[in-house]
Amino acid sequence: MKLRHPLSGALYTLRDDGLVEVEHAGQTGVFAPTGAWRAGALRSADPHFLLWVGGPGLAPRGAPAAPTGAPGPAAPRPPPDLSRGAPGADPARRSPTMDLGLSGKKACVTAASRGIGLAIAKQLAEAGADVALCARGAGALESARKELEARGVRAFTETLDVADGAALRAFVTKAGETLGGLDVFVANASGGAGMGESAWQANFEIDVLGAARGVEAALPFLGASECGAIVFVSSTAALEYLGVPQPYNAMKAALIAHGHDLAQALAPRGIRVNCVSPGPIWFEGGSWQMIEQTMKPIYERALAQCAIGRMGTPQEVARAVVFLASPAASLITGANLVCDGGFTKRVQY
Amino acid sequence: MASGETQGDPRSPGLSYQQLLDTDTRPVPEVLRWQSEADVPVVRVPIERYTSRAWHDREVERLWKRVWQFACREEEIPEVGDRTVYEIADLSVVIVRAAPDEIRAFPNACLHRGRQLCDAAGRAADLRCPFHGWTWHLDGSLKQIPSRWDFPHVERERYRLPELAVGTWGGFVFVNFDAQAAPLAAHLGELPRHFERWPLEKRYTEAHVAKELPCNWKVAQEAFMEAYHVVATHPQLLPGIGDANSQYDVWGRFSRAITANMTPSPHLGGEPSEQDMLDSLITRSLDAEPAFRVPEGMTARQFLAQLSRAQLGASVPSVQELTDAELADSFYYTVFPNFHPWGAYNRIVYRFRPFGNDPDRSLMEVIYLAPFRGRRPPPAPVHWLGDDEDWTRAPELGFLTRVFNQDTANLGRVQRGLHAAQHTHVTFARYQETKIRHFHHLLERTLE
Repeated sequence: MKLRHPLSGALYTLRDDGLVEVEHAGQTGVFAPTGAWRAGALRSADPHFLLWVGGPGLAPRGAPAAPTGAPGPAAPRPPPDLSRGAPGADPARRSPTMDLGLSGKKACVTAASRGIGLAIAKQLAEAGADVALCARGAGALESARKELEARGVRAFTETLDVADGAALRAFVTKAGETLGGLDVFVANASGGAGMGESAWQANFEIDVLGAARGVEAALPFLGASECGAIVFVSSTAALEYLGVPQPYNAMKAALIAHGHDLAQALAPRGIRVNCVSPGPIWFEGGSWQMIEQTMKPIYERALAQCAIGRMGTPQEVARAVVFLASPAASLITGANLVCDGGFTKRVQY
Repeated sequence: MASGETQGDPRSPGLSYQQLLDTDTRPVPEVLRWQSEADVPVVRVPIERYTSRAWHDREVERLWKRVWQFACREEEIPEVGDRTVYEIADLSVVIVRAAPDEIRAFPNACLHRGRQLCDAAGRAADLRCPFHGWTWHLDGSLKQIPSRWDFPHVERERYRLPELAVGTWGGFVFVNFDAQAAPLAAHLGELPRHFERWPLEKRYTEAHVAKELPCNWKVAQEAFMEAYHVVATHPQLLPGIGDANSQYDVWGRFSRAITANMTPSPHLGGEPSEQDMLDSLITRSLDAEPAFRVPEGMTARQFLAQLSRAQLGASVPSVQELTDAELADSFYYTVFPNFHPWGAYNRIVYRFRPFGNDPDRSLMEVIYLAPFRGRRPPPAPVHWLGDDEDWTRAPELGFLTRVFNQDTANLGRVQRGLHAAQHTHVTFARYQETKIRHFHHLLERTLE
C-alpha cells in the first residue's frame, strides 16, 4: 500500500513486514506505523498520517485478485431475439406445440414495474393472462399498466411496499376479486443486497415474508383454479458463495426451502410450487449496471464466471418463470430452476 | 496555502457552501439555505475551565442539574416496564416506560437506605430495590415495603419517588434534573424544523460505541465541532473535503456546521481530479486500482450522491428528491450542552459526558442512526472499547474508525498540554470555531 501526503508530498509505503517507508524531499526513513517520527525532517502533520496508515493488520491489503476468465471464443453469443420480426422468423412456420395454456388465466406478480418483475408481467400478458402487479413507485407502475393493457389483457395495479404485510395481503385479495380469480402467483419482490441488521430485517420482511404472506392471501384463489401455480424468484446467491456474507443470500435460501415445503404440502390441492434462481442479470437501471459503473472489478469477476460469456437478461429469466407458472409445466413441482448461463459451478443433480 | 489569502478576510478563498449548493442536481430545500445573523462575543476561554475540579463542580450544580440532556433512545425502552440507566458525573437516573405513551425518570436511589434502584437496563413490572425489597409502581408510587409494620413513620404519599422532567424529540428521550424546568420544546427552539426532512424518530440504532477518553468532556466534543483541524489531523481527506469553506451558523441553543465533501480543500496547491476526490474518501492506495471509478462526464460529488441514493433506496422512499448535498456533505449540529445529531443521512450522533467527577476524563459515544424498512430492527447494544482498544476495534463504525483514531490521538495530549500551559487562556478562530464560541457563550450564561 502506497499513499502520498496531500500537503507535504511525502510518499508512504506500507511494507509487508508492517513497517512504513517514507520518502520526502530526497530523504527516506522507516518507521513502525504507530511509532513517533524523531528526525524532524517531515511536517508535524505526518504522525497523523502514519496513524491513518495503521498497523499491518488494520490497513487494506492490496487490490482484489484480478479476474481469471478462461480463454475461449472472444465474442459471447447475444441473447436470442424471439420476436416475430426476428431474422429467420417465418410466421407460417411458428410451432403451435408449445402453447403455454395461459390464455384467459389470471396472474399476480409482486414488484413488477421494472427489471425481472416487469418482464414476467409482460410475458404473462403476451401469453394472454390478465395480470395484477404491485410496486413502490407510482409512476413506473402506471407505465407498466399501460404496457400490459396495450397487449390486450386486463391489468390491475396497486402502489405498495411489500414489506407492509397488511397492504400486501389486501392487494393479493383485491387482485383475485378484481380479476375474478388467480391461477398464478409470482413472488418476485426483494429487499436487495445490503449489510447489517436492517438488511436482515428487509430481506426477511420482503423476500421471505413477502412470499409467504402473498401465498397465504393467494391460496383461496389458487385452490379454486384448475392449474394453480406459484413461482418464487430466488437467486444463485443462495446456492454458491458470492464473496461476501449477506442476508440476501441466506434469505433467498430460505425462500427455496419454503417453496419446496409448499410444493409437497399443496400438491394434493393441485397447486404446483417452483423456484427460479437467476444468476447475474444485467438491465438498464439494474444493480449489475450500477456495479459495472461503480465497481468494475466485481463486475468483471462475475462476468468472467458466466460460462456463456455474458450476463442474463430479464426476458430470459421471465421465460423460465412463465413456463413454470403455466399449465405447460404440469408435471414440475418442487423444482429450483437455475437460470444463470453457467454462472454457478456445482453439479445440479 | 491558496494564493490571495490574507489575515483579516472574513471567509476562506474558494467556493462558498451556498455557491456549491447552486450546482446541485436537485432543488435545494430551505433548511440548507438558512444562515444565522447572530454572532457571539467569546474569543478566549480560561484554561481552568477544562482542568479544574472547582469548575467541574460548578458544571454539575448549575449545568447538569438544570439542563435538558439526551438520556437514551425511545427504542431502548419499547415496552411498558422497560428501564435503562442514564449517568452523568455522579448523578444516576432510572428511565422507565411507565405506560405505552408515558416515560418517567427517577433519581436512581432507594428512599430507604439509598442503594441504586436499578443497576442496568431490563424489564420488570415494578421498581424493586435489591437490598431490602422496597418496591415502587412504574408511576413512582410506593407499592410495597417488607415488614410494613416496622415503618409506621413512612407515609405512602411522602414516599413517592421524586421525578425528573422528561421530554422526547426525534426518538430521543431527554431528562432534566430540575423538575420545574421550562419544557424541552423551549430548549430545542427551531431545531425540529431543521430535521423535518430527516426524521430521526424513523431511524434505529445501528451501532453504538462508547470509549473513555483521557481529557475533559469539552476538549473531546470541541474536536468534533469544526473542520479547521482537518488540514493537520486528517490530511488524507484534503483532496475531497471543502474544510475551510465550511459554513457555521448558530441559533438559540444549537449550532450547525456544514462541510462539503467531494470538493477540494482550499489548502491544496494543485487541483485534484474528480477521481482523486473520491479516492481520498476511501483511502485508495497509489498502487491499487480504484474500488469505484467516477464515470465520464460526472463529478465525484454527483457520483457519490448516486451511490448513496442506490444504497439508501431500499429504506428511504424520498431518496430521489434528496439533493446531492444531503447525500454527500456533513451537517453536524450541536445542541447545548453535549448532544450532536448530524443532519441528512450521515447517520452520526455524538454524545460527550464527564466521566465521574474527574475533569481529566470523559466518555465519548458514537451512535449511528440508520433508516430501515419494514419492522424496526432492535437497537444495537453499547459496545464499550477498552483503554487499550482503538476505534478500529469497532468495525461497525465503518471507514470512519481511522478518522476517529486521528481525532482521539490529539485529545489526551490536549489535556496534558492544558495542564502544562503557562498561558492562561485558549483562543478560538473567529469563523471556523464559531460553534465552540457559541457553546462557551451559553455555558457562561448558564453557570453565572
